[in-house]
Amino acid sequence: MKVLVINSGSSSLKYQLYDMRDESVLAKGLVERIGMDSSILNHKPTGGQEVTEVKEILEHNTAIRKVLSMLTDPEHGVIKSIDEIQAVGHRVVHGGESFKASALVDDPAKTEIRRLFDLAPLHNPAAMMGITATENNMPGVPQVVVFDTAFHQAMPEKAYLYGIPKVLYNKYKVRRYGFHGTSHEYVSHIAAEFLGQAIEDLKIITCHIGNGGSLTAVQGGHSIDTSMGMTPLEGLMMGTRSGDLDPAIVPFVMNKEELTVNEVNSMLNKHSGLLAISGISSDMREITDGMANGDANCTLAFEMYEYRLRKYIGSYAAAMNGVDVIVFTAGVGENSVVVREKVCENLTYLGVEIDDALNAIRSGEPRLISTSQSKVKVLVIPTNEELVIARDTYRIVSELK
Amino acid sequence: MLFKKIGVIGGGTMGQGIAEMLAAKGIEVLLVEKSVEKLNYSYQMIETSLDKQLEKWGITQAEKKLILSRIQKVVHFAELGSCDMVIETISEDIEAKKLIFSQLDQVCPNNIILASNTSTLSLTELASTTMYPERVIGMHFIYPVGKVDLVEIIRGLKTSDITFLETKRFVEEIVNKKGIMIYESPGFVSSRLICLLINEALHILQEGVASAEDIDDAMRIGYQFQNGPLEMADRFGLDSVLAALERMFREFGELKYRPSTILKKMVRAGHLGVKTGEGFFKYDKDGDRV
Repeated sequence: MKVLVINSGSSSLKYQLYDMRDESVLAKGLVERIGMDSSILNHKPTGGQEVTEVKEILEHNTAIRKVLSMLTDPEHGVIKSIDEIQAVGHRVVHGGESFKASALVDDPAKTEIRRLFDLAPLHNPAAMMGITATENNMPGVPQVVVFDTAFHQAMPEKAYLYGIPKVLYNKYKVRRYGFHGTSHEYVSHIAAEFLGQAIEDLKIITCHIGNGGSLTAVQGGHSIDTSMGMTPLEGLMMGTRSGDLDPAIVPFVMNKEELTVNEVNSMLNKHSGLLAISGISSDMREITDGMANGDANCTLAFEMYEYRLRKYIGSYAAAMNGVDVIVFTAGVGENSVVVREKVCENLTYLGVEIDDALNAIRSGEPRLISTSQSKVKVLVIPTNEELVIARDTYRIVSELK
Repeated sequence: MLFKKIGVIGGGTMGQGIAEMLAAKGIEVLLVEKSVEKLNYSYQMIETSLDKQLEKWGITQAEKKLILSRIQKVVHFAELGSCDMVIETISEDIEAKKLIFSQLDQVCPNNIILASNTSTLSLTELASTTMYPERVIGMHFIYPVGKVDLVEIIRGLKTSDITFLETKRFVEEIVNKKGIMIYESPGFVSSRLICLLINEALHILQEGVASAEDIDDAMRIGYQFQNGPLEMADRFGLDSVLAALERMFREFGELKYRPSTILKKMVRAGHLGVKTGEGFFKYDKDGDRV
């Protein structure tokens, strides 16, 4: 069975085509900077020539159309016809309490995903556009949705409830859901495998830091706490999201600036974080470049980002009464040598000791970056949410037949 | 009907607001004006409105660009033939509107809904110039279009059920606003009520009962209006308020609709409200109270 995995984010669209007989990747690619005039479509057929196209792609709809035509392209494609794709798996950010595991896309599932738009305003609509565009282009092909929130459904009540009137939980399910679950689950398992230890015996803090970012305390293979909350806005300071802040700031600013609910939501989700503090960019690469050039705002943005990240590691060590492994993953976690270095530099009280030479290595493989004396193993593990999605999709669609 | 492409005729305040709101909902818009100059001006005003939202963090640069990319500038009616609906938003002149509807009637296939954003005129009269009056309907948006989630849907005498139902579905499911059904009558519901309130506020002002500021505070603070009646009049345009009152006065023949003389005086002096910078209050060029 060939399975297409679509990970439709707020400004990017990743795809991978799997042959599930051997879980091999036939092709993968990424559409970046959707919504800007210089969008980049990067397509890599396995064993073939990498292709990059730069053009204006303003919407996810167009992005998916481009991906499908690239997959069937006579020169760069890997299949003759779209019909060869027998199932499509989508990453969906928010599954609420309704989805504790992956699910087949049918009308009730779509209704439920739409109902959850309010909770993930940047992400669920993008995923839904992907589902709709897939339906239009590949009618009759079964689709599966895999949720970012599912892994965190194991969290205990004391971690997922907020200290506000409980009626709000009963009425509207206001609670912590957490995100990037597929990634936190995957990298924590790979970490145990890599170290040759049983995951049941490990206390792992997984740092999934990309444009959005979250930390999870994984104890015995289960998520016991995570930094994102009811929406992906809570927790770390991110590319364009504020992360934690005093909730009283929201009504205060709304009143002073006469903002509507939409405006204040947009302010916190799209105009805050690294972008707001640096005044330049939401991209960590540009922030660290700016810092290297002595830009004061970039330096401040970096320091705030690192400081907040480090505080979360400390709090999860406290939550689990210790930590055996710290894992860095996702865009920033896998690639930013300086973020990892600065965070670990001030974790010596936990017994963290990083090996600078190992930390500087760039590779696509799971790797250890702490010294042999370090009490805590620090790992960099490239995440592979797509593989998890492909496996779930394959399993659910096979059960149908 | 899928409502993917919609024609908006007239690039005045309401036309700009409707075009921008539709584009923000992901709909392709053909914006029609008489000349390229007027069209460019309207487009520029939409851009200014988006810039103001950008300043308030309401949208991002990319979203602004995306919204603008969905608005196509058009000067010829012939291009409206491919639209799934056409909304007319020109000034409240029945003869000019009739001309537009008779032209649209020829350009658009007979299943395409032709809507007018009129706030007071007769839909039955507008429809009388068309061969297919059953597809003519009133769709009255309220200023500012992007923020007020109410649309008055007005049925003319010959408007068909299917036209009404499709319009209501468009308003509630595609545009996500509340649509209320109104049988044609001068001023419909919202204009009739609000113009009377404004007119009474003007009488109070004229009689020296209270100052403009205090009258507005009474309603704004006391009855939770976002703006008081006098500022509301300034924002609608005093000429538009006068025209609406005069029309209702003529149609109903009742004294309560007779426009206050102070309103007439202001209009004659060219103090039309926000758009001229001065009405009962003063405004800067962004439309904020000075």
